[in-house]
Amino acid sequence: MSRDIRRVGLYAVLVALVAFYLAPLEIGLVTSLKTDALASAPFLPPGPSGFTLDEWATAFDALKDGLVNSVLLAVPATVLSALLGSMAAYGLTTLDWRGQVGVFALFLAGIFIPYQAVLIPLSKFWSVYMPLDEILWPLWQLPVLASYHGDLLALIISHAAYGVPICTLLFRTYYRDISTEMVEAARLDGATAYTIYRRIILPLSVPMFAVTLIYQFTQVWNDLLFALVIMGPGEGAPVTVGLTNLGSSLTDVGFAVKMAGAFMAALPTIIVYVIFGDQFAKGVAT
Amino acid sequence: MAELVLDGVTKYFDDDGDRIVAVDDASIDIEDGEFLVLVGPSGCGKSTTLRMIAGLETISEGEIRLDGTVINDRAPADRNIAMVFQSYALYPHMTVRQNMSFGLEESTSMGDSEIGQRVEDAADTMDIPELLDRKPSELSGGQQQRVALGRAIVRDPEVFLMDEPLSNLDAKLRSSMRTELQRIQEELGVTTVYVTHDQTEAMTMGDRIAILNDGRLQQVATPLEAYHEPANEFVAGFIGDPSMNFFDATVADGALATDQFDYPLSEATLSDLGGATDVTLGVRPEDIEIVPEASSDHDFAATVDVVEPLGNENNVYLQFDADDTDETFTAVVDATTPLSAGESVTARIPEETVHVFDADSGEALHNRDAEANGVLLGQ
Repeated sequence: MSRDIRRVGLYAVLVALVAFYLAPLEIGLVTSLKTDALASAPFLPPGPSGFTLDEWATAFDALKDGLVNSVLLAVPATVLSALLGSMAAYGLTTLDWRGQVGVFALFLAGIFIPYQAVLIPLSKFWSVYMPLDEILWPLWQLPVLASYHGDLLALIISHAAYGVPICTLLFRTYYRDISTEMVEAARLDGATAYTIYRRIILPLSVPMFAVTLIYQFTQVWNDLLFALVIMGPGEGAPVTVGLTNLGSSLTDVGFAVKMAGAFMAALPTIIVYVIFGDQFAKGVAT
Repeated sequence: MAELVLDGVTKYFDDDGDRIVAVDDASIDIEDGEFLVLVGPSGCGKSTTLRMIAGLETISEGEIRLDGTVINDRAPADRNIAMVFQSYALYPHMTVRQNMSFGLEESTSMGDSEIGQRVEDAADTMDIPELLDRKPSELSGGQQQRVALGRAIVRDPEVFLMDEPLSNLDAKLRSSMRTELQRIQEELGVTTVYVTHDQTEAMTMGDRIAILNDGRLQQVATPLEAYHEPANEFVAGFIGDPSMNFFDATVADGALATDQFDYPLSEATLSDLGGATDVTLGVRPEDIEIVPEASSDHDFAATVDVVEPLGNENNVYLQFDADDTDETFTAVVDATTPLSAGESVTARIPEETVHVFDADSGEALHNRDAEANGVLLGQ
């Protein structure tokens, strides 16, 4: 009997948590579908006459270039920092060499450098010392490519570099648990440091790749600061920059279109989480 | 096939400026096809020695030679050595087949079909062909052990190194794998160095055993030599189960005076002692006899403290009546002799079975008269 009561209590708490986390999403979704966002209470669905997809269409028109840019930015930046982080962690954990503690300390310090601290030097670096859009000018003559891709490349490199330390730390904790005897067995089997990484360590890292991919993708996708400072609101601006400008006018707040845009911008991170969710759970559990 | 020689091999680690000697000047000649067991308590340096042979640990001093060639500076992969680890160290994401092929793929230029053939052959030797397409996580401990051995033999190495390969198995499986391992080693005739802390494994498996303590080689001998003619007190106490009984004694008037009893010695034994005064008397539990009544000066009154029945025999813990401490000594007595705790008995320590060690150095001064016991040494 008391077990049943406890069960009911447990489910009540779970339902409350679900409601708590889903409420903002629900409010955003129904608001984006209303012709007049202020006509009814925020959480109520639109009435039969007040339903519209116009705001979604408007938001998509405004953001579609930004979405493409964000994918071009986030996917390579994420993959790069995860891969480089994994390699660095392998070198710092599984292999043995002089001075690795000092190098690892530098990586650790890298985690704690705030974005704001490097903002100005970083934008100076990309605009004055390393203006990729000018340096790589022959590339922009090719079809599909354009000079704003140079800015995107700068952003990719910045994010990848910023992501490597935390990815290294995550992979390092994971690699410390990998059996040293197994790595030694591979050495005796004739594998080199590189083949041990490629054939043993890399395949065993899949759960941790899921963790770092989700984490880094969300970081890079949601970033506004680097995008604004390095890129500005140009052709190459990612979706976050586009979102800030969406639905702003002197006459109207544009709740509905803002909500539709926010939803659209958040969707990819949710998709990534769904795809890697299982592996993510495994990676977190270890 | 190869002869493996350890010549003055020394390993020290640097611990904040302090030099910690893990292995001190170990020299062993291991003959082609020999099964040598390195045995000793935890931390005695046996695993370090094995890892130096494998090339996983650098050699601080001395040489390791394989068939006359110094291999100190060769990479582990170039030593033509295969190793079986305590944890088996299988690659968890690969099937058994891939686990066994890995070494051949990485270290040889063999084609796929030849590798496949050799893997099948090794799997047959280990009796695991039906496991080839499974992953290690789907195997029992015993099966993983077989795969680990299969991965070693598929390489067809000059030397097998085994680091406590049976210690993760349950007792029953361990004893059957012991026999199996010996069979395979004999069949393949590969020189093998086997590390264990278990003296039963050492006694039953080794052609010869090398006993290590504190990084020092104590004795390299056949199992029977180590048992009957231990080089020192450590070996005497380490080999044999239950352990040898030791009594501190002083030599006086042709007898050994201990706290518990006086033990008269014959002229022959006395002459072995060479004038030493402080000694340790050692006698194996299985050599102590329980007799109906005292009939010689090697018989002593004792009281039974605890009886451990093993079925065919009993381990009996006894206390000398003349002893006022709680110390006990052990005797192994045939199960047909009924004994119970508190019973007064007479324990006989036959002189032809006693060992005498120097109290300071631990060196054996006198070992039991093996021939009198009908044991042929050296085979």
